[in-house]
Amino acid sequence: MKKKVFGNIYTVLIFLFLYMPIAVLILYSFNGLNSTSEFEGFSLKWYRELFSDSATLNALKNTLILAILSAIISTVIGTMASYGINKMQNKHVKSATMSVTKIPMVNPDIVVGISMMLLFVFVGGIIGAKSNLGFGTVLIAHITFNLPYVILSVLPKFKQMDKSLPEAAQDLGCTPIQSFLKVELPAILPGVISGLIMAFTLSLDDFVISYFTIGSGFETLPIRIYSMTKKRVTPDMYALSTLIFVSILILLLVSNLTSDKNREKMSKKAKKITKIVVSAIFAVIVIITAIVLIVTASTETLTLNVYNWGEYISDGGEDTLDVNKAFTEYYEDWYYKEYGKKIKVQLNYTTYASNEDMYAKLKSGATGYDIVIPSDYMIERLKKEGLIQPLDLNKIPNYENIMEEFRNPFYDNGEEKYTVMYTYGVIGIVYNKDRLNQEDLEKIENGEAGWELLWDEDYKGQILQFNNPRDAMGTAMYSLGINVNTATDEEWQIAFEKLREQKPLVQSYVMDEIFNKMEGGEAALAAYYAGDCMTMSAANPSLGFYYPKNADGKISTNIFADAMCIPTAAENTELAHAYINFMLSEEPAVANAEYLYYASPNKLVVNNEGYRESLGEDYDVIYDSDLEGSLEYMFENYAYRNLPDEKLHLLNSLWETLKVDSAAFGGGIYIVCAVIAAVLIAFAIYAYIIKRKRRKLYWTPKAKEQSIQKS
Amino acid sequence: MNKKSLMQKAAAAPHMVWSVLFIIAPLIFVVYYAFTDKEGNPTLGNITELAQASYLEVFIRSVCFAFLATVICLIIAYPIAYFMSKAKPRTQKILIMLVMLPQWLNFLIRTYSWMALLEDTGIINTILGYMNIGPLHMINTSGAVILGMVYNYLPYMIIPLHSVISKIDPRVLEAASDLGCSPLRVLVRVVIPLSVSGIVSGVTMVFVPSISTFYISQKLGGGNFDLIGDTIERQFQTAYNYNLGAAMSFVLMLIIVISMAVMNRYSGEDDGGVIV
Repeated sequence: MKKKVFGNIYTVLIFLFLYMPIAVLILYSFNGLNSTSEFEGFSLKWYRELFSDSATLNALKNTLILAILSAIISTVIGTMASYGINKMQNKHVKSATMSVTKIPMVNPDIVVGISMMLLFVFVGGIIGAKSNLGFGTVLIAHITFNLPYVILSVLPKFKQMDKSLPEAAQDLGCTPIQSFLKVELPAILPGVISGLIMAFTLSLDDFVISYFTIGSGFETLPIRIYSMTKKRVTPDMYALSTLIFVSILILLLVSNLTSDKNREKMSKKAKKITKIVVSAIFAVIVIITAIVLIVTASTETLTLNVYNWGEYISDGGEDTLDVNKAFTEYYEDWYYKEYGKKIKVQLNYTTYASNEDMYAKLKSGATGYDIVIPSDYMIERLKKEGLIQPLDLNKIPNYENIMEEFRNPFYDNGEEKYTVMYTYGVIGIVYNKDRLNQEDLEKIENGEAGWELLWDEDYKGQILQFNNPRDAMGTAMYSLGINVNTATDEEWQIAFEKLREQKPLVQSYVMDEIFNKMEGGEAALAAYYAGDCMTMSAANPSLGFYYPKNADGKISTNIFADAMCIPTAAENTELAHAYINFMLSEEPAVANAEYLYYASPNKLVVNNEGYRESLGEDYDVIYDSDLEGSLEYMFENYAYRNLPDEKLHLLNSLWETLKVDSAAFGGGIYIVCAVIAAVLIAFAIYAYIIKRKRRKLYWTPKAKEQSIQKS
Repeated sequence: MNKKSLMQKAAAAPHMVWSVLFIIAPLIFVVYYAFTDKEGNPTLGNITELAQASYLEVFIRSVCFAFLATVICLIIAYPIAYFMSKAKPRTQKILIMLVMLPQWLNFLIRTYSWMALLEDTGIINTILGYMNIGPLHMINTSGAVILGMVYNYLPYMIIPLHSVISKIDPRVLEAASDLGCSPLRVLVRVVIPLSVSGIVSGVTMVFVPSISTFYISQKLGGGNFDLIGDTIERQFQTAYNYNLGAAMSFVLMLIIVISMAVMNRYSGEDDGGVIV
């Protein structure tokens, strides 16, 4: 009895552990605030938001289409294969086929993902495909990892089936195909269905393999969640997860209640009804998908794939303008007026966390992007490698809104223009007033603070550092007074040592994750892009922010400009030009500037009264007089330039060393590990010795003979 | 007969072609990229680069973390699988459903909500704060990373264990205790040896994803504990160094194959046990 109580308590505890994060998720889906650190009032707001969040709904649609298609195709191929494998005479061929089949199941997901990515990139390179990765490649990848599960659930059914059944059918005059359809198929149907369901759910949930094989403009739900968790997960995602969770719970409960005993009790009629209901549900799903497909296919659709930084556009949250939606509406209207034809603009907006991520994605051949918005030094590199194309300024009449001084930036000062500046800004330091000591606060107040706070032992474990090589190295170099563009190898090494020295103080290396960490009050200090710092301090009043100065009191930090470009392999340059033009017109430009807190090169924005008013004091910070006066000097000296290849290589390898190096962390873990391993090995040896002793004791020659026969 | 066997062969053909194109060929490309440089010339440079102390540490750390996560999963899962198998069949069915249910929610979002739980100002610390304990520093530690692994892969340990334990004939256990075994002895001498195949498949299903994960350590470890998966992911998605990434994947596969071989040898002739 005592044992049972203990067992029950233990079981309850484990289930608490399993369901705790899910409870959190459900709780926050009803939160009135957009936060995971505070809970305020019960609200259904995020459930309403969910149904107006077109990007999430689109991702959901994509995920369903992908899951249905890959499940059906893999079930067909897998069932045929099981039939063939079952009939195979040659034992070796059979076992070899089975081993190969199981590879995607045994191999770690990441290896399956990257191996397929390598194949697609390599083959795409050889045949000169415009875009190596896309919907087709994800579909192939999903079918591949679904196949073993289908085969393993269908094959046993073939094995169990009486072999004489199909023979009997054929003796009675069935053709092989008829005997398959009428005799074999019904017998294996349960296996086929469970294979289909398994494939469907696996595909629905897959993130890792999709992550490596997905291309531009096609986003599944897990991929969207991934890019969201890099910055902030909007609570409507929690709402969606809650809905998914609840519907699966109901589905499972219903199927459980109707199974076993109840099913036996059910009358034939009831059985029939359940069958009809189940097939009706399935049919509805198929029909809805078909309708969605047909509807999207019937009106001519123009697709625009935009690839931008995370949190880098006014997205319609909290009564702001949804710029992307505004563009599609504007363009659809304009097209109708111009050509008298109704079209639909499908805008796929995906995000990246750093210039390097974007570059790696473009280089992998996911080149279907029509717009990318990289920074200065990356633009130089893209230009050099021919990855972006010159713009046709005739198609961008609003280009004249760009102020004169921003038309010839150092990265694009040639005859032909490749870029249109989106924003510019500097790197500042955001800090939490509650976590800093009085002395440092005063220093900041007096404008004397520089980079040294990021190396202050007092804030050990409360400092955040950039999770990208160029910016992280930059913080070290500005603090040391090293020129970021002309540094020698030795200077790079010195900067690297500086970062290594900082590593024990760093809480974590972040990009967009910083929003959550700073706003939630998790960290004390971080260097980040000024506009984002201001977004954070708007969300949490105890956050402040300053421009780091060097010893002579001058601002010494990175300045950057991000600009809109059209990749060489863009599929719809017409629409891309229209998009750039639209972004330069007053309403969207002001909406973006208000939302982003970055300085705008657009004169319609700077002269806009409403913009000045809505920013209030922040306006003076963004267009700081110190800063504005030295813009030219800063662009000249502090902006990153594209590095020569050997320096880039050095930078990357130093960064790798910094990232994988962890002298300061986790020593105790290894000891625990070694002890457990030693105990296990000792136990294994002990068990082995005992086993041998026993064998000697009990093994008679007869038993030995039997066991040999057996094997 | 001839025609028939031709059809049978044809039935498996699409799958075989598919396997060659999309299972075997990609693996060949991993090896190809692992042993060539950026220009495609053969080289051992990638592998030797991995022999650097810092990369060795990544490998050791990954193996250690995955090993610990697996051991913890086994320790937690065994009792619960055992208790579950003692319940009524109907309850068992519901319990299994409840174990698998969290897996239906995307693992990214579940891991993300662990962040909200573990943070210094997070839910657990807030609750502890009401009891005047803490705050405990939990996020961005190695413990948090291992917790994430245990949480995400625990069901893959429970299910195979349960399916093996519940199949043990209760009469065997009765016989053992009738012959004078204490309950503990029954467990050690009868139940555990009979569930080895479940242990093996559970261990495989936890160890392989744990050693290759790349999301959990980024979120719960704050980027301070680089695991093999993180390093591979960075080569492909940020650093644009496919060759080094492929070399790492190659080594990862080797580690897995070796550990599987060791385990299968130790567990005797069991052929991997059940796969759910």
